[in-house]
Amino acid sequence: MNKTPLRIFIADDNALLLEGLETMLGDQVDFIVIGTAPNGSKALEQIKKLQPEVALIDVGMPNKDGLEVTQILHQEFPQIKVIILGLIDLTDEIMACIEAGASGYVLKEASFEHLVQTIRLVHQNEAFCSPRMAASLFSRIAELTGEAKGQLPSESVKLTVRELDVINLIAEGLSNKEIAKRLFIETQTVKNHIHNILDKLQLHNRFETVHYARERNLLKKK
Amino acid sequence: MPKINVMLSSRPKLLSEVIRNLIERQPDMKVAGEVIDPIELILALRITPADVVIITPLKANGDPRICGQLLREHPRLKVLILTPESEMVYVYQSGFDRIRIEKPSEQTILDIIMNTKEQ
Repeated sequence: MNKTPLRIFIADDNALLLEGLETMLGDQVDFIVIGTAPNGSKALEQIKKLQPEVALIDVGMPNKDGLEVTQILHQEFPQIKVIILGLIDLTDEIMACIEAGASGYVLKEASFEHLVQTIRLVHQNEAFCSPRMAASLFSRIAELTGEAKGQLPSESVKLTVRELDVINLIAEGLSNKEIAKRLFIETQTVKNHIHNILDKLQLHNRFETVHYARERNLLKKK
Repeated sequence: MPKINVMLSSRPKLLSEVIRNLIERQPDMKVAGEVIDPIELILALRITPADVVIITPLKANGDPRICGQLLREHPRLKVLILTPESEMVYVYQSGFDRIRIEKPSEQTILDIIMNTKEQ
């Protein structure tokens, strides 16, 4: 087997991690670390010159952060695969990295083996992420799809306990006056609750509200 | 010649593996064990003796209470506290002032550990 080793660049302001990863990745027979940088601007400068196949970029670097570096690399050198090294599992951060053009996102809480596997897969135009990260991404994609279709980001809408009570009573077929009596509140307050519910859920009438609640198991079982 | 025993209690995992690899590459050092929880660390050191312990607390706190406890129980122990992003390493030893080193490299960590041997 005489394959050319995969050329990797690492950028991280954590000197200890940077040196360690350089050594450990360099120990892999199919990898060669061609350069490292301790900040964003030096990373860009070096990557432009060295043209690695894969760049590992820490998300929180000084000068230019990982996102900025990824965006620039994606625009100027789309053939370079960028893997972001992140410290926390934040869906928004992961999404931002993907939107910036990253091909992968590895948490520093992940194992070295996971990192190695990700580098190999990303190089082959595949993706690898933890089940937890995949779950966050699926949920975010579902939200975005809903928004794109003009639907609701339903899971992120927070209804109050009282609003849920009102929806349940609407589902029982009660009028506003009857609901007010049942909940010991004014009819106008019920109207206010219904107005808020329709506004939050972006619905138009009571029928749609009951349908919405039924689909999401928000109605109390009798 | 006896090796220097290093106990690890570092997070995130990638950093912990990097430190482990660094120690294991040294012919005169050995990883005595690895624990995450501070309580487990106190208990582990009662059973497994170590010369040095490397801790990365979750918060950037240069003076965690665990240091006092460890040094009381093991007066010859050297405690290295690495801040989570390794911007700083604090070195604690019984009877010595705290040492603070910015942006430690692999060599810095090895030098601090090696220094233990001579004392």
